[in-house]
Amino acid sequence: MDYVYTILILIGLFVILASSFDLVIGHCGLISIAHPIFYAIGAYVSAMLAKEAAVPIPLAILCGGAAAFVSSVLVALPSLRVSGDYLLIASIGFQLGLIEFAKHIHSIGGAGGLTNIPPFLVNDYGRLSYVALVLAVAVLTVLFVRWLTHGPYGRMMAAMRDDELAFSMLGRNAIWLKVSVFAIGSGIAGVAGGLYAHYFRFLEPDQFGLLQSSAILTMVVVGGMRTTMGPVIGAIVLQILPQAITFFGLPPSILGPLQGLMFSGLVLFFMFARPQGLLAAPDIWAGRKAKAGEPRGLAKGGLADG
Amino acid sequence: MVDVLTVSGLEKRFGGIVVADNIELALVKGRVLGLIGPNGAGKTSFFNLVCGVVKPDAGSIVLAGQEINSLPIRERARMGLARTWQNLRLFQSLSVLDNLMLGPRAYCADNLFNVMLRPGHVTGAERDSRDRAYAILERTGLADIAQSPIRDITFGQQKLVGVARALMNDAQCLLLDEPMAGVEGQAYALIQRVVRDIAASGVAICVVEHNVAFIRDLCDEGVFMFAGKVLARGTVESLIADPQLTELYFGT
Repeated sequence: MDYVYTILILIGLFVILASSFDLVIGHCGLISIAHPIFYAIGAYVSAMLAKEAAVPIPLAILCGGAAAFVSSVLVALPSLRVSGDYLLIASIGFQLGLIEFAKHIHSIGGAGGLTNIPPFLVNDYGRLSYVALVLAVAVLTVLFVRWLTHGPYGRMMAAMRDDELAFSMLGRNAIWLKVSVFAIGSGIAGVAGGLYAHYFRFLEPDQFGLLQSSAILTMVVVGGMRTTMGPVIGAIVLQILPQAITFFGLPPSILGPLQGLMFSGLVLFFMFARPQGLLAAPDIWAGRKAKAGEPRGLAKGGLADG
Repeated sequence: MVDVLTVSGLEKRFGGIVVADNIELALVKGRVLGLIGPNGAGKTSFFNLVCGVVKPDAGSIVLAGQEINSLPIRERARMGLARTWQNLRLFQSLSVLDNLMLGPRAYCADNLFNVMLRPGHVTGAERDSRDRAYAILERTGLADIAQSPIRDITFGQQKLVGVARALMNDAQCLLLDEPMAGVEGQAYALIQRVVRDIAASGVAICVVEHNVAFIRDLCDEGVFMFAGKVLARGTVESLIADPQLTELYFGT
């Protein structure tokens, strides 16, 4: 049963990661794949605060999220001020650089990893309570992203993606919007990191590398970008598929690279065969029917001419 | 005669190409100024310089008494400078109404703090700007297609959406880049009337347009531009009657 709980927790964590990553790359159109580094920052900060400073674990997890939020602003601000394209380079540099850096810091476990992270909930209430916690945060994340992208803030993201110059000419601040959304997405990833740390109780720098980047990207692409449930479906499918492969009894030396191949293969396949992902949704903002209670409930016009 | 926008000594060159050569121009409250000139005369570049899309090499741009040379595009917009674009630049994945909703100088969700912590405040501001958007759509004859995606409406309607979106700014100064190109029939009279009304409400307007009849009917005054220079200023009638200018316009 523990195995099932662990899979459920991983699914929940990757739903949080994929959904928050879709906010950044899908809804806001920010090209970055360094999401795992903010997951790592949240995990390490939360683990160290709980382990070394005896900070209560819920508070430590929130501090992990805040640390990810702040560091993402520091990465995004300079690169987005130059041009959006630099974000990809700057964020990957930050990701790989910080991983190497962490390997050489002995106080956080170095390359061997950080062990004996204080557990949360499991000892007192059993593993099921942790499953419930992670799934609750996952549901909240999905609902939050949906709320943000379907409201006036989401309208700004859609418009900025379409035409940044026209967007600025209306008086809107594109840089500020990008930095804010990047920080929100990264902060959520940081919270997921804290949740990871206090369940698995072991962290090593290498697990937050490019393989994890491609896993999260694959989840979003396969599930369907800019859809509410796409990242959820993607996270479930891509969490279960690698588990299924393990039943073939392949040696670990083949299993690891095989997962990487599978992720890249899936992204390529979907980009060619079904770019909208498993769940295709119409644009959130194009021709939305007037909601009940709007002052002028006009039905969708659909006039081709006239 | 109140000058809303004053441009003086404006210079800009891209390599050997001069797009602004010591331009001196003022836009007056409540009046419509037409910019006439052949392609490449620097008319759209003038708009880009005023809006901050392109930085000038020299000269000053003053909007309502404040120099705006060093301000970014968005700050100029927030001071009441609005424009339309030759190639429209509408938000394709948004409906007509949502295109307008993004247009006010201060947008309800500009402040993330309000979005997160004062949702009621944002909803109220959203409702107000929706009412304003519908009033403008009504005025521009677009109310019936408010919910349509941009790609589902005709080119003439898209032109009007561009103007309507600029009106959401409640601008002091409005720059219209070829509002008539590709527009026929009913929209002609409608755009004329809308622009006249806006000017009458005290906005300084500048129009770039190749349709000479349109500009003659609409503008209080015209300016003839050539190779980045303002060659002549006067009534549109006098400008198009000048044989020298006509020769420059049509080439020889």
